[in-house]
Amino acid sequence: MSSKRRFAVVTDSTADLPDEWRARYGIEVVPLKVIFGSETFRDRVDITDDEFFRRLSAATKLPTTSAPSPGEFAEVYRRLAAEFDACISIHLGAQLSATVESAKLGAQAVDGFRVEVIDSETVTMPIAFLCKVAAESESLEAASAAVRARVPKARVLALLDTLRYLEMGGRLSRAQAMIGTMLDLKPLLLVADREIKPVDRVRTRSRAVSRMADYFRGELPVEHVAVMHAQAPDEAEAIAKGLRELLPGQEIPIGKIGCVLGTHTGPKALGVVYIKK
Amino acid sequence: MASRRPAGVDGPLFKQALLGSLTWLSANHEEVNRLNVFPVPDGDTGTNMLLTLQSAVEDIRESNAAEVSKIAKLASHGSLMGARGNSGVILSQIFRGFARAVEGKSSLTPRELADAFEEAANAAYRAVNKPTEGTILTVAREAGRAAAAAASEVDATVPGVIAAAAGGARAAVTKTPSQLQILRDAGVVDAGGFGLQIILEGMLKTFEQAETFHIDMVAPKPKAAQVALDLPEGGWGYCTEFLIEGAALDVDVIRGEIEALGNSVLVVGEPELVKVHVHTDDPTRVITLAGGFGKLLKLNVGDMSTQHKRILDSEGAAGRPPRANGVGLVAVVAGSGLVDIFRGLGVDAIVEGGQTMNPSTQDMLTAVDGVPYDEVVLLPNNGNVVLAASQVRGLTKKKVHVIETHSVPQGVAAVVAFRPERSGGENVETMKAEAARVQTIEVTHAVRDTRSNGLKVKKGDVIGLVNDKLEFAGGDYAEVVNKALGKLGPDAYELVTVYRGQGASDEELAQLESAIRSSFPGLEVEVQQGGQQHYPFILSVE
Repeated sequence: MSSKRRFAVVTDSTADLPDEWRARYGIEVVPLKVIFGSETFRDRVDITDDEFFRRLSAATKLPTTSAPSPGEFAEVYRRLAAEFDACISIHLGAQLSATVESAKLGAQAVDGFRVEVIDSETVTMPIAFLCKVAAESESLEAASAAVRARVPKARVLALLDTLRYLEMGGRLSRAQAMIGTMLDLKPLLLVADREIKPVDRVRTRSRAVSRMADYFRGELPVEHVAVMHAQAPDEAEAIAKGLRELLPGQEIPIGKIGCVLGTHTGPKALGVVYIKK
Repeated sequence: MASRRPAGVDGPLFKQALLGSLTWLSANHEEVNRLNVFPVPDGDTGTNMLLTLQSAVEDIRESNAAEVSKIAKLASHGSLMGARGNSGVILSQIFRGFARAVEGKSSLTPRELADAFEEAANAAYRAVNKPTEGTILTVAREAGRAAAAAASEVDATVPGVIAAAAGGARAAVTKTPSQLQILRDAGVVDAGGFGLQIILEGMLKTFEQAETFHIDMVAPKPKAAQVALDLPEGGWGYCTEFLIEGAALDVDVIRGEIEALGNSVLVVGEPELVKVHVHTDDPTRVITLAGGFGKLLKLNVGDMSTQHKRILDSEGAAGRPPRANGVGLVAVVAGSGLVDIFRGLGVDAIVEGGQTMNPSTQDMLTAVDGVPYDEVVLLPNNGNVVLAASQVRGLTKKKVHVIETHSVPQGVAAVVAFRPERSGGENVETMKAEAARVQTIEVTHAVRDTRSNGLKVKKGDVIGLVNDKLEFAGGDYAEVVNKALGKLGPDAYELVTVYRGQGASDEELAQLESAIRSSFPGLEVEVQQGGQQHYPFILSVE
C-alpha cells in the first residue's frame, strides 16, 4: 500500500501513535530520548511505558528528555527518499520541545526530498490524529492543508494526580496556574493555543474525572477523540465507556501516555484528547 | 449633669444612659460569657456585645449634641462598624431601629421612648433571616412591649418606661430556656438576651442614681484584628481617620472634598461632629483640608503601604498579575498554617480571626476596601462571623458577595472552586455549592460540664462537632474522630484533610492518622499544618 503513496508520514514518539495505526498507515516514528542519570533510552524503543513509570516512581531525581537530533531526522528522511517523493513530518509542539527545529534542520540536510515539517502545537494523541488525517489524504498538498487546518483545533484535556512533576520540569509557573501548593489539589489542564491553561482544580480524583467529562461535553462536536492514561487503565476504560455512550459510532481508542510526556505528567495522569470540529 | 427626674430624653441624657449601659455591661460581660450554650471555645457573646457597645459609644463621648436624634445616629453608626458576632450585629440593628424611630427629634416623651424601643425590636427582627424565639430578639420585643404598657399609664415617666423595659427584658430572659431546647439542655438562659437586659439595666441605673456614673473603662481593649493585605505594588496610601468638631458642619460638602483625595471614603455625622475615614496617598492634605472645617479629634493615620510592603518582602509574593475577572477574595482565618493555605489558594486579604476572636464589621470592611478589586467575595469561615460579614455589604461602594462559610473546610472548598476567568456571579454559585458539599469535623475539649444534644459532657473531655453540631465526646482524639467519620458514612467520601492545630502533639497526630487509616481504609488522608488555636484538629471530609 505504502509504495503506491507519493508521500510518507513521519511523526515522533510523543504522538503516542497506536501500533495499529502505525501498521495500517505505515507511519514512521522517530523516538525522543529519556535520560535517567547516565542512562539514555530511546522512547518506546529501549524502554517500555511500564518500565519507565517503574523507574520514574523509584527515581530520586526527575529524568530529562531530549529531542531527536537533526542527524537522526536526516537519516529517516534519507531512507524515505528512496521510496517516496516527499514526506509530511508532524511533531510535538515547538513551545514544548526542540523536536520541530531538529526536524527542519534534518530536512535541510537531505537534498532533493521535500519535507513538510508541521508544528502540531500540541502533545500526545492529537498528533496521531493529525498523522491519520495526513495518511488518508490524496496528496502532500491536501495533507498539509488538512493538517494545518486542524492544528488550532487540537486539544489535550489532562487530569494530573499531582502537579509535582510538571512543576519540577518547569513547564508550568505557579502564577499561571493559580493553583495552591499547600494543598494536594488535582489540577485539570488544557493544552490549547500553544499554552497550558488551568481549567479547574479539585480536591478529589473522582470529582476531577467528572469535571473532565463535563468540560469535554462543552467542547462537542469533535472529529477525533481518545482517552489517555499513565498507569491507570481501569479509570481510562471507565471514561472511554462514558464517552462511547455519549458518542455512539465514534472510534474512541485508549492510548498510553509515553515516557516523554509521562516525565511531566507523572503516573496516574488521565486525559481526554480531541480535535474540535 | 443629668437632672434627677427628667421630663424627656434629650441628647445629653441619652448619652449618659448609653455610657451607663456600657459601664454596667463591662462590669457584667463575663457573666454573659459564661452562658455559652456549647461547651466549645468560641466567640464569647458578652465580649462581642461589649466591644460592639464600646464602638457605639466611642464617637458619642466627644459629642455635645443637644438632640437625642444625633446621639442615636452616632450610636447606630458606631455599633454597625464595631459589630462583632451575631449578638453584636443584632445589637447594632437595635440601635439602628432606635435611631430611625427618633429621627428629627430633639427630646423624647415617655411615649416616644417606648415607641423607639418597640421600633428597635422590629428592626432587629427584620435584620435576621429566620428569627428564632428565645433569643435576644424575643427579649428586645418583650422589653418594647413592657415599655409601651408603662408609657400608657397616666403618670408615665421616662425612668418608669426604662424600668419597665428592663423588667420586661428580665422576665423574657428567664423564659428563654422554655423556648429553646438547646438552652434547656445546657441549663442556661440566652446569653444575647441577657446582654440586652444588662444594657437596659445600665440605662436605668443612670436615671436611678443621683450622681452620674463614674466612667472608668475597664473593658478589655479589642485586640485589633489584623488585616493583612496581599496587593500588587502601587499607591495604597494611608488609612486616615478622625472626628471633626465644629458648628454647622455640612456632611455632604465635607464628603465631597474628602472623596477627591482618596478612596474608601466614609463621612458621617452631625453638624457638630463628623466622622471621617479615608484611604489616601496624602494624609497631610486631608488633615489640612479637614482642619479648615473645625477642630480635629482622635486623629489616626496608618501607613497601609508599609504594611503592604512588609508583607510583600516577607513572603516574596512577586506581585500577582491582576485577576481577569476583577474579583478579589477576602477570608477570615486564624492560625499561621491556615493563613498560608488560604493565601496559597489566591486569597488577597486575610482578616485574622475566627473561633474565639470574632472580627468586627469594620475589620472586614477595611480588608474589603483594601483589595484592588471593585467586586469582592468575603468568606467568614465561622458561624458567628457570618452576620457581621453580611453587614459589610451596606458599608462599601464595592460589590460584596458573602459566602456563608461556617468552617475552615467550607472556606477552603469555596476558595478551591474560585476560577479567575469566571465572573463574580458564576464563581459565587459554584463556591456556595462546593462549600455546602464538604463535611466538617471539629475536635476540641469541653470548656465546662454540660448536657447538649443528648450528650453528657465533662469539662476537659474530647468533643467532636460534626457540621457545627456537638455529636460525640470521648477520651481521645482518635476515638472521637472515628465515631464522627462513622456517622458521616465513609463510603460516600474519598478524602479526609486533617488540619492540625497548636494543641496537637506529633504523637497524637500519628495516632489519629493511623486510626483513620485502619478503620477506614478506603479514605485518603492528607495532613496540613493549620496552626489554629483551641481546636487540636479540624477535619474536612469530601
